[in-house]
Amino acid sequence: MKQSLNATVAAALVGLAATAAHAETAIRVHYGIPTIWAATQEALAEAFMAENPDITVVIDGPAESYEEGVQRLLREAVAGTLPDVAFVGLNLWRVLEARGLAQPLDPLMGDKAAFMAEGFGPAVRLGTFNDTTYALGVSASTLMIYANPTLVAQAGGSMDAFPETWDGLIELAAKIDALGPTIDGIWLQRHDWRFQSLLGSYGGRPMTPDESDITFDDAAGLAAAALFHRFSQEAGMKTYGTNEARQAFPAGTLGIMLESSSLLTRFLQGAGNKFEIALKRIPINADPASVYFPTGGSGLVMLTTDPTQQAAAWRYMRFVTSPEGAKIIVETTGYAPTNAVVVADEAYLADFYAANPAVRPAHEQIADFAGPWYAYPGAEGVAVTDLIAAALVDISDGGAEPDATVKALAETLRTRLGMR
Amino acid sequence: MRLNRSVREGLTDLLLAGPATAVMVLLIFLPVGIVAVLSFTDYQFGAASFRWVGWDNYRAILADPFGRRALVNTLTYAAITIPASISLGLLVAIGLHGLTRHQPRLAAVLRAVYFLPVAATLVAMAVAWQMILHPTLGLVNQALGAAGLEGPSWLSDRALVIWTLAAIGIWQSVGYNMVLFLAGLAAIPPHLYDAAAVDGADRPWDRFWTVTWPMLGPVTLFVTVVTATSAFRVFETVATLTQGGPAFASDVLVYAIYREGFVYFKAGHASALTMVFFALVLLFTALKFRVLETQVHYR
Repeated sequence: MKQSLNATVAAALVGLAATAAHAETAIRVHYGIPTIWAATQEALAEAFMAENPDITVVIDGPAESYEEGVQRLLREAVAGTLPDVAFVGLNLWRVLEARGLAQPLDPLMGDKAAFMAEGFGPAVRLGTFNDTTYALGVSASTLMIYANPTLVAQAGGSMDAFPETWDGLIELAAKIDALGPTIDGIWLQRHDWRFQSLLGSYGGRPMTPDESDITFDDAAGLAAAALFHRFSQEAGMKTYGTNEARQAFPAGTLGIMLESSSLLTRFLQGAGNKFEIALKRIPINADPASVYFPTGGSGLVMLTTDPTQQAAAWRYMRFVTSPEGAKIIVETTGYAPTNAVVVADEAYLADFYAANPAVRPAHEQIADFAGPWYAYPGAEGVAVTDLIAAALVDISDGGAEPDATVKALAETLRTRLGMR
Repeated sequence: MRLNRSVREGLTDLLLAGPATAVMVLLIFLPVGIVAVLSFTDYQFGAASFRWVGWDNYRAILADPFGRRALVNTLTYAAITIPASISLGLLVAIGLHGLTRHQPRLAAVLRAVYFLPVAATLVAMAVAWQMILHPTLGLVNQALGAAGLEGPSWLSDRALVIWTLAAIGIWQSVGYNMVLFLAGLAAIPPHLYDAAAVDGADRPWDRFWTVTWPMLGPVTLFVTVVTATSAFRVFETVATLTQGGPAFASDVLVYAIYREGFVYFKAGHASALTMVFFALVLLFTALKFRVLETQVHYR
């Protein structure tokens, strides 16, 4: 028995109906995380309006985080006051797609293959599910190795001979950890995205392409889970929370940290003159053709269903993902671009790379191996990511046996996600 | 036209109690009713439709090991926080009450110091705690490190985290309880102590046990109810410091409600959890009034 929510809510929300007055050519844009995006959003809107004087871009007050942003969009959907376009986390646009709020973009692209060939390919791939595109990726980040060269040198290593295998990295981390009681060797968050990243470095995938079965209980998944075990058992990885680790690394008490490339700007500011931060790529343990790194960052979704608004919104989305828009985003946020032309043509970002040499490996890893951040399907999709994190905690400091834990976890997920 | 007396009184009553009652019905009872209805559906936050699922959400809470964990953690937190913050609040109040006679100025300063955590925003204070308790950079572990000891991870050790959060909860509520007890102590008429002394109760413990404690009965009841409800409602410190982690070790009921509803978007499930929480607090409050009311001496 299906109940019409609209009728129920309409009755409950009488008097709360907001009146959203749309000017003919005004589009409302939603975004989150103002600490990273505020200046960027204004620069994008300004540059767009200079080129398109017939459209006014109105920016909504930002949400503090992507999660909070999606909550707000869902509330606005119920109240009928959705913005026309929204910047959302790359792991969260599926929430909007599952509720029929994110509009399919294929009809607006015209010839999709030609559109992708123009340089929009990476942006389209980050927002596509089941051959339909619902989002355009606008900024990208992958898991990287951050190293503190001072501590590495104290432990007898060097950045020139930095280990390129997990064995070497764990050995180095153990030596750094032994330097003192308030010095730590290595840290990695026990978290779904981090697990997917290590899984991808072994050529594994979390699910089958049609999302009908879990596949991380294969050899690649067991190897990835074993790393969490080895980091804590062999290199003394502490049970830090994320905030604590993000304070410890720039403070210079943590030798090696595996984190998102998007944190580089913040870490550089935090470390100041204390030490030079070095960024290294994640070791590859499989045929490069099968390797991928799940991409964090944000994408643009279209929420308006009105054809006139859609046409204006599409022009804005196209602008933001164009080389010109990508250049603004990279220069103001430090995120990697999602436009292939910007990556291929040095002319766009040469000045930026000259001023920020440390960021180069992150952009190269994304250009080589960027892949989707798998979102688990259905109502339990977000909930199971916390089960994955809990299993990784069991493996790393509960002393649980990695193989058995990962296999049991996969079984739990199959049940929770209704895959049988 | 003059209305008769009882009608006029009735209208006055309505005028005085009516607006508040109407607001309460509109803002508390109605939403609780909607939540109760939602708890029997599979409604997903933001979805266009829902399905009736009967008691499924409630069954899922009981079957889910993490649901039980949240319940146990909440009870553990309450079992540590309630007695500790009431007894510490009473101790501090008695100390300050005595000090006021000899050192009124010092007593006033100390009173303000103890009350500061209550006046400060808990979320901001939580951030300060996070810095103090940081496993390597924090003041506590730096001090331990200087003494040659390796301090624990206060907020990310699974066995320790609920105790750390409880300690912060006690720190936050002692000042409030102290102020209430101080008011209670000031209201005790001195002649009762004289009378007790005449009857032979002149040692400190006798004075406390025969006069102070019974006279503080109504205040203690109030303090217990307030402390207990706030202990069951613990949320800010969990949300800011641990997000229920690591591995659900500090998951508590109110945080679980938030997580299910606003992170997992499972509004139906979250509504069922809310009803369970509501019933628990109601039951506990009723029980306390039952038990404690019979033992409280009112003047």
